[in-house]
Amino acid sequence: MKKVILYVNQFFGQIGGEDKAGIEPEIHEGQIGPAMQFAKELSGIAEVTHTIICGDNYMGSNTDEAVETILGMLEGKEMDMFLAGPAFQAGRYTVACGTICKAVKEKYGVPVVTSMNEETPGVDMFKKDMYILKGGNIASKMRKDVKAMANVAKKILAGEPVGPADEEGYFARGIRHQAWRKDGKPASERMMEMLVKKLNGEPFVSELPIPKIDRVPIAPAITNLGEARIALLNTGGIVPVDNPDRIQSASATRWGRYDISGDKVLKGGEYKTIHAGFDPAAADADPNVITPVDALKELLKEGVYGSLHPYFYTTVGTGTTESEAARMAKEIIPFLQEDHVDGCILVST
Amino acid sequence: MKLEIGNFYVKDIVFGNELSFKDGILTVEKDEALKFILEDDRITEAELYIAKPGDKIRMCPVKEAIEPRTRLDGRGLFPGYTSELAPAGNGVLHALKNCSVLVVGKHWGGFQDGIIDMSGEGQKLTYFGQLNNIVLVADTNEEFERYEQQKKNDALRRAGHKLAEYIGTCVKELKPEDTDVYETTPMIKRGTEIEKLPSVVYVMQPQSQMEAMGYNDLVYGWDTNHMLPTVMSPTEILDGAIVSGSFMPVSSKWSTYDMQNTPNLRALMDAHGKTINFLGVIMSNLNVALEQKERAALYVAQIAKSLGADGAVVAEEGYGNPDADFVGCLVALEDAGVKTVGVTNESTGRDGHGQPLVTLDEKCDAIVSCGNVGELIELPPMETVLGELQALARDGNSGGWDYDEILGPSVREDGSIILENNGVFCGDQVAGWSPKQMMEF
Repeated sequence: MKKVILYVNQFFGQIGGEDKAGIEPEIHEGQIGPAMQFAKELSGIAEVTHTIICGDNYMGSNTDEAVETILGMLEGKEMDMFLAGPAFQAGRYTVACGTICKAVKEKYGVPVVTSMNEETPGVDMFKKDMYILKGGNIASKMRKDVKAMANVAKKILAGEPVGPADEEGYFARGIRHQAWRKDGKPASERMMEMLVKKLNGEPFVSELPIPKIDRVPIAPAITNLGEARIALLNTGGIVPVDNPDRIQSASATRWGRYDISGDKVLKGGEYKTIHAGFDPAAADADPNVITPVDALKELLKEGVYGSLHPYFYTTVGTGTTESEAARMAKEIIPFLQEDHVDGCILVST
Repeated sequence: MKLEIGNFYVKDIVFGNELSFKDGILTVEKDEALKFILEDDRITEAELYIAKPGDKIRMCPVKEAIEPRTRLDGRGLFPGYTSELAPAGNGVLHALKNCSVLVVGKHWGGFQDGIIDMSGEGQKLTYFGQLNNIVLVADTNEEFERYEQQKKNDALRRAGHKLAEYIGTCVKELKPEDTDVYETTPMIKRGTEIEKLPSVVYVMQPQSQMEAMGYNDLVYGWDTNHMLPTVMSPTEILDGAIVSGSFMPVSSKWSTYDMQNTPNLRALMDAHGKTINFLGVIMSNLNVALEQKERAALYVAQIAKSLGADGAVVAEEGYGNPDADFVGCLVALEDAGVKTVGVTNESTGRDGHGQPLVTLDEKCDAIVSCGNVGELIELPPMETVLGELQALARDGNSGGWDYDEILGPSVREDGSIILENNGVFCGDQVAGWSPKQMMEF
């Protein structure tokens, strides 16, 4: 039998109303308040072993202490999942549920589930970090909201996949996957319906809501190029011929760095491109067309810039997701910072 | 223009003494068919198989799919490609439905090839899992590309097209079960009843990214990389004027079968006169240089505007670099006052966190989204493999790999596989079949 622990506020923990909102966290064995319905919903799969109660004001104004105390209370407890709420439309309570769920997930690595109304601040603050079920606006929705949380909880506890946000009733977490429509409606029919609605000025729902694009501000110019240390990076797949880091030819998740210190040169036959998104002939014959080590060394001799970072860095751009690219950049940046690089040349293909 | 397609529904395929079609059973005389295929002296080895829904068969590396058909007037099926150049889009065709000819490499695959499973969890990943397939497994003497990651697959693809035409001849003299009639009238002479409906164009962006010839989709045998957007009749598309190429990660591919049956096109033709006035097709492309993308978008918007289109549907055969063409074209059309719907797939990665398209614009407010090329897929071993499974891991398939420190190789010793959706043959079905949709999790 799996073990679950629930967090509730002073009101649902049956301690009191607003006058008790300042109480410090306490932990009780067994089930208090909503924990009893969770126990019923999860029966046969999990037991609710403890209920944690904390005042909303205490959590709001002494957040660090409250979180630390609760994490301490959980130390050594058997726990397969942590639940909080449901918090309905109570603003402070929703933030408390999000805060404690996030902390418990990070510290103990267990899945967390909560519920709040869409009009509350907790939704935007925490929806990317956890499953937040779309809850009602008043406490009379308790049965329904607990049931919705329990449905998702049961799937997670059983190791079953949790369905799409709209189907399961949680707030989308900024994750997009392909899924099979229940009605099996093919793309051509969906296209026709959307087209006719758009033409007639009727409301329609795009299957790809356009997200806000992350724009990176352009760095200030290098003021003294003559003394600047320059590094060379590329997403054009230039690697030693044996591709020692096994960088993928498309949808890359791997990168490598290769020594170009001293009088090292890049020759066809010794280096090549493993990028599968363009005709490789020119780059295989002369890798310098993508990673211009020859030109950079010439310019160095001429004193155009100060010095060259002794490695060039390679990955493949074709099909590579923006999130993987950002991760690889974060892995590469420390090497550049350690060597006090002032500027980078990033070549695509 | 008027195209009539007489349908012969294939319920079963068997090998027998004579190429024939009777009571839903397609009989193929194997030796004769193989002799026909081996007439191309580039084909060094060939074998035929049958793969039907429910069969415990996995195919890899799959290169092309074609619907077997025949033209009653003797004209070839793919003018400018496997037959003499001639106008397409008029006349009578007989087609074997629920049936395709699949071409599979006996050993060697590449970036652009894929897998098909006929049963189990993988069957639903591609439309071809539900068809009765005649499978040509062959090898060639094309030594120049044997170890190349990008393959033209020229001999094998042509063999598939010719085989589809060869098999189609068995229904030439027979009476079809039913007939689909696709008729278009001149755009400006349709009468007030039709013309009061909102008018719509279908913009096709077929794969044309490769600068070298021999890899891209062909229109009447002409490389789509070398063309500017132009107007075509939907009946030409359904009648073999365009054939698939050999370049893109294969889940994004529109096989020739998809072109011959383009569901989006048929849905628009079906709605013609009811909810829309379907003007026709603007055939564009997906060239890589920015200027070529901008020029194509400019042409598409101008043509749509000149034709008086109120609305447009844009579909792209690819992702990544082609997203720039797709979004650029949608924006150009919206800027020209044409209300536009896009059909595409996405690349949100294995974890689903990635940006869906390489570039985005708020004007793209109506998109049908058919799949995630990076979706990680794990499939159990399959009793029978046609082709060579190692091609998925060894030959640089866009959805496979030979090494990963966490996931291991794509092809495991027990025959189970792990791959990205990228490697599923025509998996994203942007041509309109797709029952898949991108959803928020």
